[in-house]
Amino acid sequence: MDRHLLPEEIDLLLDGDVGFGTPPLKAHVRNCPTCSSELESARALVRQLEHLPHIAPSPLFANRVMSRVQLFVPWHVALLDTVRGLIPQSRALRVAAAGMFASIAIALTIVSVWAFSRIDAVMFTADLVLDRMRGAAFGALTGAVSALFGDAARPLLEGGAMGLATAVLLVIVTGVAAATMVRVAAVRARGR
Amino acid sequence: MALALDLRNLPDADVAALAKEGREPAFRELVRRYERPVFSLIFRMVRDRETAEDLAQDTFIKVLNNIDRYRPEFKLSSWLFKIANNVTIDHLRRRQLATVSLDGSPHAQTAAEAQATSLDVESRGESALEAIESRELGSAIERAIGKLRPEYRSCILLRHVEGRSYEEIAATLDLPLGTVKTYIHRARHELREALEDLRE
Repeated sequence: MDRHLLPEEIDLLLDGDVGFGTPPLKAHVRNCPTCSSELESARALVRQLEHLPHIAPSPLFANRVMSRVQLFVPWHVALLDTVRGLIPQSRALRVAAAGMFASIAIALTIVSVWAFSRIDAVMFTADLVLDRMRGAAFGALTGAVSALFGDAARPLLEGGAMGLATAVLLVIVTGVAAATMVRVAAVRARGR
Repeated sequence: MALALDLRNLPDADVAALAKEGREPAFRELVRRYERPVFSLIFRMVRDRETAEDLAQDTFIKVLNNIDRYRPEFKLSSWLFKIANNVTIDHLRRRQLATVSLDGSPHAQTAAEAQATSLDVESRGESALEAIESRELGSAIERAIGKLRPEYRSCILLRHVEGRSYEEIAATLDLPLGTVKTYIHRARHELREALEDLRE
């Protein structure tokens, strides 16, 4: 090579380029004091730049940033966190909890299988329980209507669905009226 | 505390994934990892500590409030530096527009008119903040960096202070690879000249 290196060629050597064009450049630098000095000066600059330290912001920087960051926890993450929170910390408690849940699951499975194998008995028992509940609710309602409006209101309840609806409406209206009167009385008392 | 300690060993992409789940320690870990590099880059660009803190803060707030948009196939640090550079360049442009000549109106025809429209700036003592700044950016190389054009400055800082490849810098600054190489070459050349001048 019968000329000095071009600035781009100095850059190639500076960046540690290992392409096929660099061996002649390196050979030239070895024999040319001008280019060698040029490359060394460029390397010194790079060393200086690479030794520049990172500068720290003020100690409260992170807190100031965090005070303006919107933290949003997606619902599935919140749900998982809740579940994780319910899991005991110690291994022994975790094993005990797992055993308990497994026992409950097994018991429920056995009961379900048994219930499906005797579906007629289950339906009969369910009907019976529902009838009892319906009777108890009707009795309570009849008692409430009788207490509020006297025995004269009893025929209403015996008048089928229409009568029952009227009775329920009457109970609601009476309840609302009573609540309003109590409220008015309370307001007046406070005014005095 | 245990989560914060574990986070230190995780790669950026995993910490970002935890931040996407709204985990505060993950946000703090990202700030801890990058507050110095981001702040240093911005401080060396604007050369004013208070402004650099504000711009670095804006950078982190933008990144962390949009963490759900982060795609793990890209480097988180490149995204941070991209936002930091954009925020800083915007600030420098605004500052350039707002600059008022201290030497008087450019439309002044005579020396008297120029004198009449010039601003009087009283000399003042160096504040504590300025003293810190001059200590931090007072070395010859820092002063030489301060004289570079902003686009040269960001390229040379990313290349040699942050150790980024040319390709990464091109992607970070949205510049063609050739332009990045040219900027870095010119920046090195100008820095060497400036340092020689300072030595003389």
